[in-house]
Amino acid sequence: MGRYLIRRSLFLVLVLLIVSFLTFLIFYKLPPGDPARIAAGRRTSPDIIQQARENLGLDKPWYVQYGRFAKGLVPWPGFFLNEQVYFSYNNFVPVKEQIFDRLPVTAVMAVGASVVWVLIGLPIGIMSAIKPRSVRDRAGMLFALFGVSAPVFWLGYVMLYIFWFQLDWFPGSTLPIDESLWESVLRGRFVLPWITLSLTFAAFYARMTRSNLIETMSEDYIRTARAKGLSERRVIFKHGLRAALTPVVTMFGLDLGILLGGAVITEQVFNLPGIGHYVIDALTTNDFPAVMGVTVFAALFIIVANLLVDVAYAFLDPRVRYT
Amino acid sequence: MKRYTRLIALVGVLALAAAACGEEGAPPAADQGEEAQRGGTLLAGLESDVDAAFDPQKEYYSVTWGFYHCCLLRVLVTTPTTTAENGGDELQPDLATDLPEVSEDGLTYTFTIKDGVTFAPPYQDQEITAQSFINAMEREATPAVGAGYPFYYSVIEGFDEFGEGEADSISGMTAVDDKTLEITLTRPAGDFPFRMMMPAAAPIPDGAADGHNKDYGRFLISSGPYMFEGADQASAPPAEPFPGYEPGRSIVLVRNPSWDPDTDPLREAYLDRIEAQIGLTADDGALRVDSGDLHLMLDSVPPAQQIQQYQGDPERRDQLFSFGGDGTYYVSMNIAEPPFDDVQVRRAVNFALDRAGLLQIRGGPLFGDVADHAITDPLTGFLQEDYDPYPSPDGSGDIEAAQAEMAQSAYDTDGDGVCDDPVCENVVSVTDEADPYPDQSALISQNLEPLGLTLDVTTQERTTMYDSCNDPGAHVALCLGAGWFKDYSDATTFGEPLFGSAAIGPDSCCNYALVGAPPEVLEEHGYDVTEVPSVDADFQACDEMELGDERVQCWADFDRKVTEEVVPWVPISFFRDVFIIGDAVRGFDYDQFSGQPDLASTWLAGGGSA
Repeated sequence: MGRYLIRRSLFLVLVLLIVSFLTFLIFYKLPPGDPARIAAGRRTSPDIIQQARENLGLDKPWYVQYGRFAKGLVPWPGFFLNEQVYFSYNNFVPVKEQIFDRLPVTAVMAVGASVVWVLIGLPIGIMSAIKPRSVRDRAGMLFALFGVSAPVFWLGYVMLYIFWFQLDWFPGSTLPIDESLWESVLRGRFVLPWITLSLTFAAFYARMTRSNLIETMSEDYIRTARAKGLSERRVIFKHGLRAALTPVVTMFGLDLGILLGGAVITEQVFNLPGIGHYVIDALTTNDFPAVMGVTVFAALFIIVANLLVDVAYAFLDPRVRYT
Repeated sequence: MKRYTRLIALVGVLALAAAACGEEGAPPAADQGEEAQRGGTLLAGLESDVDAAFDPQKEYYSVTWGFYHCCLLRVLVTTPTTTAENGGDELQPDLATDLPEVSEDGLTYTFTIKDGVTFAPPYQDQEITAQSFINAMEREATPAVGAGYPFYYSVIEGFDEFGEGEADSISGMTAVDDKTLEITLTRPAGDFPFRMMMPAAAPIPDGAADGHNKDYGRFLISSGPYMFEGADQASAPPAEPFPGYEPGRSIVLVRNPSWDPDTDPLREAYLDRIEAQIGLTADDGALRVDSGDLHLMLDSVPPAQQIQQYQGDPERRDQLFSFGGDGTYYVSMNIAEPPFDDVQVRRAVNFALDRAGLLQIRGGPLFGDVADHAITDPLTGFLQEDYDPYPSPDGSGDIEAAQAEMAQSAYDTDGDGVCDDPVCENVVSVTDEADPYPDQSALISQNLEPLGLTLDVTTQERTTMYDSCNDPGAHVALCLGAGWFKDYSDATTFGEPLFGSAAIGPDSCCNYALVGAPPEVLEEHGYDVTEVPSVDADFQACDEMELGDERVQCWADFDRKVTEEVVPWVPISFFRDVFIIGDAVRGFDYDQFSGQPDLASTWLAGGGSA
């Protein structure tokens, strides 16, 4: 297990380097615009542009420029997203500060939504799988179809319009300036974003749980379990569900990792100051260090989540062993 | 040119408001007879954060300039925070006791600074002196700061030398004593007092910006009636950024206890507190204003549906405002590129375009006034209000007059008013990909067809479009989506940057028409013409004049010369800012300088519930 973890950690660094290099190419080198020209503003002069180029380190060769960013990828204090390189080209605020300031909002969003989609998606999937083609199954899959089909940006606005603006059951979008994050949670400001964000995931999880469980329930060892006289509840939950949930756990880990990197659309619709909102602002203003920082940060979350899921496999499935 | 792009981008969605008729910014009916109340918290919304985290040397954005002007930064001289019609373009002393004394040769300006004015906490014990302004200018000149507009101050003797590290101080700035600041220029610049009203010239306490080349804005020491929340809890110099500004999230201003209203007749400062939530969408902001959660949005154009609702509701109509800002939308014609190297063709295009139709696509009269000339009316002292050298019925274009002009052109050999030269086909044109420019381009193409001009229009992202227009080597004949806004209330900002020979090329800005391009530039970029008209001497003559009627007349004459003789543009419309306010807001006014709501005169009925 130890060797496996070391190998995966090295793999993590390699993936971060690849992701960062591609991001560097896509957002920094390939676009036709000169970041120094953009930073200098529309009314400018050759001197100001040159100064901006020097201030942003753009006067160095491309590999030196990338090297400066790459050093900031080392997940170690003092290196990771260091403020000398990872600062916003727009407002000069350190990217790390912005990410860590916004991470709690994104984490509340992601964790809350994941709880909601698990609580909705798994029971629907299980109930549908237990009695396929029943009314309950049809209703469950109709819900899944709606959840998969409803775009998040549309659903968010519909939720806001109905439950905030018309019915006033829940608070509207954004987090008030004088309210702490936890006060916002307690006052229900995340309820609509959680539901909006989780609905699509819940639909996918319901469908996936249903199909996995139906497949598992036709396995020989389930028949054996039934033949041994185990109750149907025990057969389903002890033997069937455990095997059926293994791919679901994989998906859950990855989805949570992705969301921790920013629930872009939901944060935008509900004006939540999370990482997703930050990256949209960065993209629309060509703020490369911010884009790079968030990309790497999100990639880190996904890779770590992937690692944790792989480790969790060993506990969920006794056949899995790591060397 | 301050950055108005976010606002411009949003204007496009407002075609539905085409039938709108403009409010002229009259105070709400509820104001009448009510006595202004002090206190309350103004709740504002912003779609986007400020540009450079409130760094006064870097910020070049109208919203930030609005916060500075009303609330955070006082300067030596400034304009009142009101409309041009109410004196918003007239220079007044602010931290100076009077307007500056100017030497006979126009090279030396002497400012006397008011006694007893101190900075906000944590520098409340430091009085504002001549050195405070020198600190600001030295910071503006420092290359590592990356200031936004040092070119305005290059005219100060020794400013560039200080920036290049050749001098320890700016030789042209002398603190004669604590209360007397003498500034020497290298050449006369009559608008210099206006340059000293920009935020970069606001005083900085000794030592406050040391070590903050990148981030002084988050440690900004106020001199105005408000300051960032938490500034009074900090020590001098502050160790941490003030919590009143959280980048990307919020701005909270509270009263500055050092501010003495007796020294500041220009700002009423009724409100106790101003909160601005950053990151709202225009739609969400509109819902919040409607529902009473917000008093106003500062940086977004109200959605068309909201405008229609307020226009159609007699009880809410007076909460809708439209103010004339100092900006011109225009089509730029490359006067070195055939067929626009012929002034008759350029005049023909001016006659042909349906300006009223183009304005209607932008949203109608609420969002602008048809522009008959280049420089906005307030900047030319309203002398040009009735000036219309290319008249047409209802501003919708006059094809007969256009064809008469075209008939005199060398590109119309048979004199039938239709260009018959191949250069008139597939004229290289670029425009902004955002609304309303593609629709406007379609109308322009349609307008020019009767003249035999067909356009090959490329839509580009705004920055790319400006890069294309700005590159003489790209041979863009028509730049269809251009716009320009003043920096301060003098027409000089419509002079050199738009029509000066020094403003040509990718590393400069923004003479897209190549007015006054030197022969070597034309040759370098492969133009057939070897000479184009120049107005360098004209704007330089205006620039050197002292502020006053003669200078204004000079700029009005310049405007006429550009519009009638050189004709590098088709002015389309003069910009208007539109705001919708909550029903508790009173005293709402427009700050002509920044193009933002004047928060200094705003007050709230009933103590301020939204």
